[in-house]
Amino acid sequence: MDPLSSVAFARRCNERGRRYTPFVESDDGVLPDESPSDADLARTIGAAASGSARDAEAELYRRFAPRVRLYGLRHLRDVHAAADLAQQVLLMTIESLRSGRVREPERIASFVLGTCRQVVLDRRRGEARRQENFDRWAAGLSLEESPRPAEEIDSDRLRACLERLAARERSVVVMTFVAERKSDEVAAELGLAAGNVRVIRHRALGRLRACLESEEGRS
Amino acid sequence: MSAPRCTSPRPLGDLSDYWLGELSAAVEAPLEEHLVGCDECSRRLAWVVDLAAATGALAKRGLLRVVVSDEHLGRLAREGLQLREYCVALGGSVSCTIAPEDDLVVARLAAPFASRERLDLVFCDATGHEEARLADVAVDPTRHEIVFTEPVDGLRRLGVATLRVRLVDVAESGERVLGEYTFNHAPWTAH
Repeated sequence: MDPLSSVAFARRCNERGRRYTPFVESDDGVLPDESPSDADLARTIGAAASGSARDAEAELYRRFAPRVRLYGLRHLRDVHAAADLAQQVLLMTIESLRSGRVREPERIASFVLGTCRQVVLDRRRGEARRQENFDRWAAGLSLEESPRPAEEIDSDRLRACLERLAARERSVVVMTFVAERKSDEVAAELGLAAGNVRVIRHRALGRLRACLESEEGRS
Repeated sequence: MSAPRCTSPRPLGDLSDYWLGELSAAVEAPLEEHLVGCDECSRRLAWVVDLAAATGALAKRGLLRVVVSDEHLGRLAREGLQLREYCVALGGSVSCTIAPEDDLVVARLAAPFASRERLDLVFCDATGHEEARLADVAVDPTRHEIVFTEPVDGLRRLGVATLRVRLVDVAESGERVLGEYTFNHAPWTAH
């Protein structure tokens, strides 16, 4: 396998994860300081001979992959599709940087976001075609996916913190997040104003964050 | 190596609005650009996403005492969750239990009142001693009922017991009990 191919690159980035080691690149691929900005990374990749700024590329991938994955989750509501999106968008971004097609490396986040939007749009168009085929051929099949696990938050602690919320806050948080309902939907079901529900949710999130980070939440 | 720190961290409220698709396009676009370029705010958004998933999981396992809407329960039932419901009239009582296959236990309390400033649900033991309280519960007065789920793990541990729930009108002048509902619980026995 070509070590500079897209597949090899993605595999290397994924294997590397957070175990990044500072380095000194080739002459035109040196990172400017200990904590370069995203734009520094983009400029480094763009200035290096194609594919030679490997660590800068790995660092760019490591930084942007979680952000793009969140964008994908927000717009696609599917953990696997979001992971695919992250890989696809970042490979396209790095290939564009390598070939000098990113005109403003200092606005690399805008470039990545634009690529995200385009890929999601393309996916949706393709999805419509796939859905037509699915409806035609797969009707009646039972296909279920595992829900996305919540790994970061301890459920016992969260339960204790939810129990410390005011009843109204607890109702709004639960009804919002169980089925991802918007404020006006929750408001209509609870006989409240939508603006009030939003304020209650914002306040409750702050309290939950504080509780989960405190010793109280650990008890 | 870490990304540079964020100079304008976005509030959790804005991030939850974004996650739920509640922002206008004019507000969402710049926030989205910030998020794609910011590790710190992305991590905060990831926390909101994880919190949403974890809260949903707790609720679907029936582990929360929480007032909810009829529509909310309908959505859970359509997902395939097994709901056991008890309806109690004001001043009434009901014999209740929890079966092994139940995912959620729901109480529906008749509450034929006009809108109040604040209503509390007070949970008492058989002698009337207050053990817990849901303060300022959200009630839709047009439905004339209060619906809440009771944690199933506690119910499964319970032997024969009586639980009294009082509906209390709370005003500056003091508290007034509007009514009481009695739950006579017995452990599940297969017939």
